[in-house]
Amino acid sequence: MKYILLMAGTKAGVDTYRAWSQSDVQAHFAFLKGLNRELSESGELVANEPLAGPEQAKVVRAGNNGAPITDGVFPEAKEFLLGYWIVDVESPERAYDIAARLSAGPGPGGVPTNMPIEVRQIMSRRTDELP
Amino acid sequence: MKYILMMNTMKAGSAGFPEWPKKDIQAHIAFMKRLNQELRESGELVAAEGLSWPDQARLVRAGKDGMPITDGVFPEGKEFLAGYWIVDVETAGRAYAIAARASAAPGVAGAPLNMPIEVRPVMSGPPGEFVS
Repeated sequence: MKYILLMAGTKAGVDTYRAWSQSDVQAHFAFLKGLNRELSESGELVANEPLAGPEQAKVVRAGNNGAPITDGVFPEAKEFLLGYWIVDVESPERAYDIAARLSAGPGPGGVPTNMPIEVRQIMSRRTDELP
Repeated sequence: MKYILMMNTMKAGSAGFPEWPKKDIQAHIAFMKRLNQELRESGELVAAEGLSWPDQARLVRAGKDGMPITDGVFPEGKEFLAGYWIVDVETAGRAYAIAARASAAPGVAGAPLNMPIEVRPVMSGPPGEFVS
């Protein structure tokens, strides 16, 4: 079963993170690299992508003529996806375990961030399964 | 340049989708399949995934002992990711044009949904200065 682990945060949250010291940021990335390596070796890692910051986000709608209308203004409380992992695991509990590992990644001073990770099943064949 | 195109939904919005008339759902899915096929043929499609409905979403945090604490309760106004595309394109403008195509996907009675699609660059790795 494939699950997606979504790491999201508000713009204010991202600004807080950007104020971390370089050594804290390095420790955090070293942790993520170690976890990714472990998930690659166990054969559970399908994909992992970090996204560019919220200031580069645009919301796009089709106008009446189908041409794109872009807007870069978002509500203050909007959560932005910061990055995600797709894992292929035997059970939802295993996906929750991996999410907890991510949640326990080190923050400033090495203290676990305990950030929330949203976990959802991927429906790879949703388009074929629907009526 | 790789961009992610995210289709977000409110819980109520996605719960309404399965209640569309069957032929409207079929037309919507057929549109998405055609779009994906077109992007595959142009070599621009990197990945596309649909996610399970928000009622299956869980929020997971590490407890003090590192064990997962799962929660299924979300704020009323929370946006849920319904699905996404990753495209590899020459310009941001091309990513926006593809997003506009997805935005205009047909809804009930074939009327374009004009739904908002969030577009962001995908970074292939963490910013260089952060890697030790």
